[in-house]
Amino acid sequence: MNGTRIAFFAVGVVFAVDTVLLLGLITLKTVHRRRMERHDQRRSIYLGVLSRRLAFPLHTDYIDPEVARDGAFLDAVIDLRNTVAGPEIDTLAGIIDRYGLVKRQAARLRSRFPLGRRLRAAVSLAEMGDESSAPLLIEFLSDREPEIRIQCARGLGRMQHTPAIDAIIERFGKESPWVRSRFADTLVGFGALAAWPLLAYARVNHDYDDNAAVVEAIRVLGTIGERDIGPPLSDLLAKFRNPELKIAAIEALGYVGGPLAVTPLVAYMQDHDWRLRAKAANSLGEIGDPQASPALRLGLEDENWWVRRNSAGALAGIPGGLGILHEALHADDQFARDAAAEALADCGQLGKARERQEQGQATAADLELLGFMIEDALVP
Amino acid sequence: MGIGGRIGGSLGESARVTTPLVGLCYDIETRMSQAKRVLVADDSEAVRTVLVTALTQAGYEVAVAINGNDAYEMGQTGSIDLALLDHLMPGLLGIEVIARWQAEGYQIPVIILSGVDDERTIVDSLDLGAVDFVRKPFRLPELMARIRQRLPD
Repeated sequence: MNGTRIAFFAVGVVFAVDTVLLLGLITLKTVHRRRMERHDQRRSIYLGVLSRRLAFPLHTDYIDPEVARDGAFLDAVIDLRNTVAGPEIDTLAGIIDRYGLVKRQAARLRSRFPLGRRLRAAVSLAEMGDESSAPLLIEFLSDREPEIRIQCARGLGRMQHTPAIDAIIERFGKESPWVRSRFADTLVGFGALAAWPLLAYARVNHDYDDNAAVVEAIRVLGTIGERDIGPPLSDLLAKFRNPELKIAAIEALGYVGGPLAVTPLVAYMQDHDWRLRAKAANSLGEIGDPQASPALRLGLEDENWWVRRNSAGALAGIPGGLGILHEALHADDQFARDAAAEALADCGQLGKARERQEQGQATAADLELLGFMIEDALVP
Repeated sequence: MGIGGRIGGSLGESARVTTPLVGLCYDIETRMSQAKRVLVADDSEAVRTVLVTALTQAGYEVAVAINGNDAYEMGQTGSIDLALLDHLMPGLLGIEVIARWQAEGYQIPVIILSGVDDERTIVDSLDLGAVDFVRKPFRLPELMARIRQRLPD
């Protein structure tokens, strides 16, 4: 009997505790929801007042300085910052300054608050994109928390604060791959302004620094696509010893090199490392200069499948390249024939040949291609 | 033209009326009833608030929708002179709203607002019949000028 009583008592206690916890949870959620509803209501009111300021410069609605303490006011300012451009941004900058919004968030960022509150402050500063916060954001690029460093870089990118470019690049070698990739996104946002500092970073650090950071810097150069850095990047490529760096530079040259990069890239088509040959073929295709055609034609007979595939793909996009691929269907080398046929199929030539055949307008080249594909059982 | 210009014009016209104040009220009422009606459809509250404030200030009547479906239904009332549609909204997209209106014979001039500024979106919007395309974030005076251009007095 005693055992049964104890069991009932234990179940009762567990039930009571669960009920209390559940009620507590429901209460907390309700309080939070109501708090958010009130927050949204205040935000709507602030949006209205601030919109009148933007739409009607002589507007004289009084805004209590105490609103600076209200997160809803900050949210409204940030929302409007993301909505309007041009002279209205100056009006918002005046409001941000008058109500000390940057100072308040700066104090939070500097505080010993837990990460969540400091991170919210960093996000707010990044979203406000106010120039007055730039020195602070640069300072916190070396914060102990990676999320805060990322937000600081993002904010600096948003405001296109060019003195921050060097500071962000300086952090490149010290960051984890994840943070570095986010910094890279920011640098891409700076565009051509970041190209020369990145090139300088690669030039100085390719022998000493973490190669992954220099590789990332070169990738950013390719993404930015600033043509002026093509020739110096070609020169730098000749100095690289690490294959990863060479691969990144060859890839970047495809985007920024232009016709001047054809000669050095063609030289890499003879490299002993197949990865460099394959990447060079790709980049020559990106440049699209017919001068590269002979080297790419040789690439069709390369011992490595990737080099053959990339060479054929590159030829498909180069003026006169389709003719070379059609000719390669008669090559002695079986691999070259297959690579050419696959590239012709991939770039839509096979489909067009079929259409023309169905319409009774097939050319000799069309029939050759169709015949080759059927003969080699590459298509049914 | 700002509201100051409108009131100045009204006073001049109402000078012909015996009682100036009655004349002014009559004139404003007449103008309100003749005011052009602009539909603002955007899921962002900030965009809606800014546009409603600026358009009302400029003397337009404003209808507001927070998604594509509501915008489409408001256009069917036939009382909209110009629509500012967000490109990406919950429900129907801005260009889908245009396509449906056109299929049903509603010739509403539409300005597409979009945070996406790739060429394809712009070309698709204009091809489908939008009269203009404005990138977000937008310059308010410029957008208002485009609206005035489409809705001359």
